[in-house]
Amino acid sequence: MSRTALFILIVALALLAVPVAGGGSYIYWWQHNMPTNTVGHDGFAHNHTYNELYFGPNAGWTARLWEVTPAGYTHFVRLCSGNCFYAHPPYYYATSYCANRDPNGTTHFVYDCRDEW
Amino acid sequence: MVTVQRRSKLRLLALAGIAAAAVITAATSQVGRGGGDRTQIGTGSVAALARSARAADALPAQVLSYPFAARNFASPTGAGSRLLQTDGSLRLYTVPGKAGMLCLVEVDNAAQTAGAACADRGVLLTGSIFMADRSENGRLDVLGLVGDGHTYAEANGKRVGIEGNSFVLRGVEGDSVTVGSAAETQTIEVGD
Repeated sequence: MSRTALFILIVALALLAVPVAGGGSYIYWWQHNMPTNTVGHDGFAHNHTYNELYFGPNAGWTARLWEVTPAGYTHFVRLCSGNCFYAHPPYYYATSYCANRDPNGTTHFVYDCRDEW
Repeated sequence: MVTVQRRSKLRLLALAGIAAAAVITAATSQVGRGGGDRTQIGTGSVAALARSARAADALPAQVLSYPFAARNFASPTGAGSRLLQTDGSLRLYTVPGKAGMLCLVEVDNAAQTAGAACADRGVLLTGSIFMADRSENGRLDVLGLVGDGHTYAEANGKRVGIEGNSFVLRGVEGDSVTVGSAAETQTIEVGD
């Protein structure tokens, strides 16, 4: 292999490595202490890999996490008791939403919602 | 002078009353353990947590790496976790949570997904700590953790037994699941 070919190979390998080295995930807490009867959303579409809702240590109400693409397609809807998270492959470019509700169906404030992409 | 002092006292009393009302409202709004008049089954104990630990009970490192674990699990290492059941590529665990919470954890290697729900243990008295996913056909796949004494979970006429304090119900139509024992029945609202 000539020096030129070796140089090109090294540069190509380096370029391949750049996106990996810079591909760290972004963590974003996008909702704090949401008012009653309000659904939270992060306002920015990303290829999310993680969504979390944290209510508190005495959590018990039903929580809801979901993602919606800009075209209006609901990627997933996860319902769960109390605090919850859902991690998934970054299949969809979507906006995250979160909410929780009491047994009467009233949405209550959420302590924290977060997502990662 | 006397009138001014009385007004000041009245203002202080009114402020104290408002503050007390705010504290009570905030405290009660934080508690969501289900209605006190609902049917109760068992004591909220979970036998799966009491059995001897096996190698398969350890939570996957990936689950422990999520920020959720540090905020909710009693131990950052997931100490005390137990594998409840496997269903295809799905594994269900329970792990003690902080401040009296109990957590249900699911890991699906084939789907490359993971999730968890942590709630006050008192939820187990009147129902289940659950997770549910709505699929494109509108049906729900429901995973639940129940306390000792529960023997089945049921929806749309399909009944499954409780295995390791847990159940897996797929393709649930509607928004509710029934769990129960030989003598009592509870309804869990799992829909949105």
